[in-house]
This record gives sequence, C-alpha cells and structure tokens, in this order.
Amino acid sequence: MSECIVVTSGKGGVGKTTTSANLGVALAQKGNKVVVVDADIGLRNLDVILGLENRIVYDLVHVVEGECRLKQALIKDKRNPNLFLLPAAQTRDKNAINPDQMRELVAQLKEDHDYVIVDCPAGIEQGFRNSIAGADRAIIVTTPEVSAIRDADRIIGLVEAAELPEPRLVINRFRAKMVERGDMMNKDDIMEILAIPLVGIVPDHEEVIVSANKGAPAAYNEDSVVGEAYRRIARRLCGEPEVPYIALTTGGFWKSFKRMIGFSAGGAA
Amino acid sequence: MMKDLLNKLFQKENGSKEEAKARLKFLLVHDQVDLTPAQIESMKTEIMEVIGRYVDVDRSCAEFKLQKEAGGVALVSNIPVTRVTARAV
Repeated sequence: MSECIVVTSGKGGVGKTTTSANLGVALAQKGNKVVVVDADIGLRNLDVILGLENRIVYDLVHVVEGECRLKQALIKDKRNPNLFLLPAAQTRDKNAINPDQMRELVAQLKEDHDYVIVDCPAGIEQGFRNSIAGADRAIIVTTPEVSAIRDADRIIGLVEAAELPEPRLVINRFRAKMVERGDMMNKDDIMEILAIPLVGIVPDHEEVIVSANKGAPAAYNEDSVVGEAYRRIARRLCGEPEVPYIALTTGGFWKSFKRMIGFSAGGAA
Repeated sequence: MMKDLLNKLFQKENGSKEEAKARLKFLLVHDQVDLTPAQIESMKTEIMEVIGRYVDVDRSCAEFKLQKEAGGVALVSNIPVTRVTARAV
C-alpha cells in the first residue's frame, strides 16, 4: 500500500528540504520505491540537496499543465535507482497549480511508488494548501526554538483541521550541550508544548552543510550521525515504532568533567 | 575557583529554556484566541461583576489566565474573596 507523506513546518529554514531528501534516501535504501516532490514552486531546492539540479528538463507544473508525461519529468537519483525526484518549476509561483491538481498528481504517483514525500514550502498560503492536498499524513519539522515551535503549533492546527490523521514531529538541530546546561528545550519540553507523537530527533551537525555542499544527503553516509538519525526515522515510519533514539548526550559525567577542567576542547553535537 | 567548579558540578537546570517554555505556553494560547485585548478586559470586568453580586472580591488581586492544558485551552482564574456572607441580591 503506498502512502503520501507531507513534510511541513510553517517556519522557513528549519530543515524541511533536508528532511525530505534524507527520508527519501533512507526509505529508498530500505527497498521502497520512493518519489520526493518539490512543492516549493518558484524557490526550488530539493534538486540541489539531492545533487540533481543539472538533470532537470521538465517539472511539476509542466506535468500538471499537460506539457509532458509524468514519467518524463521524474529524475532518477544518481545513487539509488529506487529514488526519484519530481522538481518544482523555478520560473512560476505557488498559484500555478491548485489543490485538486496536486491531489490528482499524488494519486498518479502513488500508483508507481511506495512512498510519495512532498516537500512543502514555508508559510500557510497556497503552497501549503497544495502540499497537504494529496497527503495521507504529515511530518512536522521543528527546531528547539520559540519561533519554530510557535509556527509548528499553528501548522499542527491547520493539518488537523484538514483532517490529516496523526501528524508526527521531527525535532531538528538538537544541541545536546545546550540542552545539558538548560539553555535549549529538550524532547520532553517540546512534546509537552506541541502534544503530538515524536518520530525522530536530528542532531545539529556540520555534516548537514557538507552534505548540501556536495549534493549528497547524509543518509547515504553509513558513518554519519545525522544519516543514522534519518535512517531511524524511516524505520519508525515503516512500522518499527520501537526503534531507539540515537544517544544525544555530550558523553556523560567524566567527559563533561574533563571538558570543564580543560582536558578536551568540546564534545559531539 | 573551587566554588565555580562545585557550582558547575551540581548545576541545576536554570538556563534560558524555562523562559522559552513559559513564553511559548502564553504565546500559543494567545495565537489561538481571536479576541482583542479590549475584549478580554471587558470579559474580565463582566465576570467580576457577576461574582461581586454574591460575594465581596478583591478586584485588584484577581488573576485571569488563558493557558494550554491537555485537550485544549482553559480560562484559569484566581479571585480572592474578601467576604463570603451572602448578600441580598
């Protein structure tokens, strides 16, 4: 049974596109046939995160307007033959398509793919309404900051009003060191406020920027802690809800003690 | 030096996150409420009037707060009663 998951957040810059790309990779690596759809018409970026920007010929708007067949617009990933990208148009805007057209497009994509991941644009306007139109469920991405959590709360309300069942939360840019000294909200603080089930925590790590530089999502890297976080989210989404969370501490008492008295320059993120 | 070290060792959670949480709890409710500050003020005045018909209350110390609870938003109020003897209405 195939499923469409929309990745949304309200606020921009919290990691929707990174999350969409990495979940696409992680789900494809588990043997699923996956298409990631860039719904950010006019400001596309999923193509660069996946390193596929040079291969775009047709885009989502071309498909909707009947200028090409759906298969012509799908770009096969360089590394995984199970993963496809449907890019957004760059020279149009969010009003180029409507929710009914999106619903129809997603229905078509679901015929040939196990997972359709829709990367939603920031905001609560037309782009958001288009993105949730064909979705079966939503993943809400937030960071442990007041502004991102506020916007996430608003988006959760809109997603629930649209009758999408059980939105799930991804906490991105988690910084263990700051949490340990009480300067960042932890998992329980955020869940207490947003009151939806958690599906993953992704540490704040330089790897994310290096991956974006290279156009190769961290989920491809077996040794990446960020990649591992996304691989575990993919497993939880595929019916393994009990997958444990990766250890998000700076290394316990002795490491903190040594750092405190100057033996080491700093811990992991 | 030693005192700093001990403070760090037995550090309590007193960082800025508590402030973030408290601000968010207030913010999220007020984001949902579609009332102007003037309307909220007049709601408070009217509630106090009704209660004041039955008991004496200290209006200056009365508190009204909208807050997020499990399952929705609650109007929580704390109104000090100065005299409980019923009056003729």
